[in-house]
Amino acid sequence: MKKDGKIWIAGMDNALAGQSLSGHEMHEKLATRDTVTVLPDVWVIKIGGQSVMDRGREAVYPIIEELVAAKKSGINFILAAGGGTRARHVYSLGLDLSLPTGMLARLGASVPVQNARMLQILTAKHGGIMCYPEELEKLPFFLNAGCLPITSGMPPNEFWEKSQKEGLIPANRTDAGVYLMAEFLGAKGVLYIKDEDGLYTDDPKKNPDAKFIPETTAKELLDNGQDDLIVERVVLEYMQRGAHIKKLQIVNGLKPGQITAALAGKDVGTIIRA
Amino acid sequence: MSQLLKGDGRTHISSGLMRESLVSRRLIKETDATVVKGMVPDVNMICVGGRSIMDRGAEAILPLVEAIARLNADHRMVIGVGGGARARHTYSIGIDLGLPIGGLARIVGGVEENNRDILQFLLAPHGGITFVKDHFQDLQLFLKNGMIPVCIGQPPYHFWEPPSVEAGQLPDNGPDTGLFLMAEIMGAKSVLYVKDVDGIYTDDPQKNPKAELIREITAKELLERNLPDMPIERELLRTLENARTVHQIQVINGLQIDNLERALKGEPVGTVVKSSRAK
Repeated sequence: MKKDGKIWIAGMDNALAGQSLSGHEMHEKLATRDTVTVLPDVWVIKIGGQSVMDRGREAVYPIIEELVAAKKSGINFILAAGGGTRARHVYSLGLDLSLPTGMLARLGASVPVQNARMLQILTAKHGGIMCYPEELEKLPFFLNAGCLPITSGMPPNEFWEKSQKEGLIPANRTDAGVYLMAEFLGAKGVLYIKDEDGLYTDDPKKNPDAKFIPETTAKELLDNGQDDLIVERVVLEYMQRGAHIKKLQIVNGLKPGQITAALAGKDVGTIIRA
Repeated sequence: MSQLLKGDGRTHISSGLMRESLVSRRLIKETDATVVKGMVPDVNMICVGGRSIMDRGAEAILPLVEAIARLNADHRMVIGVGGGARARHTYSIGIDLGLPIGGLARIVGGVEENNRDILQFLLAPHGGITFVKDHFQDLQLFLKNGMIPVCIGQPPYHFWEPPSVEAGQLPDNGPDTGLFLMAEIMGAKSVLYVKDVDGIYTDDPQKNPKAELIREITAKELLERNLPDMPIERELLRTLENARTVHQIQVINGLQIDNLERALKGEPVGTVVKSSRAK
């Protein structure tokens, strides 16, 4: 059977049938739609690449110890790894060769996987298990089995990563991937483990006068035009539009007790609200 | 050779981005380039509409398949396809069930695979072959053998689909955007959107007889006009505006079958949308 020249069968009729998905009217109608949370009791925790992994044993061992203790106390979480120095190196190489953004994203994706695998090896005896993007739907199994799922923080965009208005470096890297994963899951919270107490008015590693910011909003950070930030800019845009994750917390993993305190709901580090 | 550097507790590889925060605006600006390389620059990306072509069945699909088979001798092409009516049905049920945006983005590609498989089947006697994400880098293998790769359009963001910039929390990224992004990596020669209308009109031509066909427009201007509806995704316009290797797309009417050949030869036969970076 055909309707308006198109193949049609009974039962295909619904709110979107025959609609162009680009129509404003249809989007307005859906504006108030509500969505379920997928894994609401699970935290998503990112371990920084340059800030933690690249420091080696000195930084990584105590952080794993703290995370494993949290796991044993009944806190459920997914660990995601950042990229770091090797990602920066391959971006430099790619930029030198005038490779497009999608290609840089493809290259940058390898390094967080290496870091995730390092974390898996170190946590295997406590249940550490690799969870690849295609296996996200197996998270309930991993968690119910008492495992500690470990992912790359990178979103699976690769060749499909969009060029940005300025610069060729992929805008969606591991902070964005972690945020988007948590937003999809409707997670309990998102924690970024770095090597600074949180957000500063400038890079504290380079500017000793940089001031600590304990709490701020995504909008304020985007509006004040500061050159550097502790999270990827797109995360601040996404969280203003996201349905579930309206708060991020950044803690210093090099200071013992910070991760535990954040997971207990304490306001340590920097908190960014939508 | 790159040097390993220590001294601040972290091991760095000496490189342009060493010790840098990749979030710094200043640094991001410095990484820009006027010319960016493409992977397979002589390819034409043909984006076949799901609702506009595939849903019309044999009467629209078979002449198009015949034209693609014939034109393959002179033009290197990748064929991409959208989901159409079944994609709308998927979204409608998914919305009713309260699925988050990443869930909708994950499931919608399934119906595009139907359309890809149909086109591949019909093109197979002429060299049609399925072209999937994991074989992106094998593209030359297919093209050098005269084959016609057929792929889906939905980009593989899946559960990582960003929250929508529009109202309603439907994925901004659909097949139009996904195929454009593939074309951008290739640095494609042309990107053609094959639909069932002559192009983009100033208003809905079925409701307003005074609606005029737009022959050429910039992506920026088209976004600013904020038309109530369009035959292409709005996100495609935002993506085109920032693209580095592809600076224009064309929307053509695939029901008038000569259009494809003319468009492949570079003729404007529908609506040409250009980015500000176009020369």
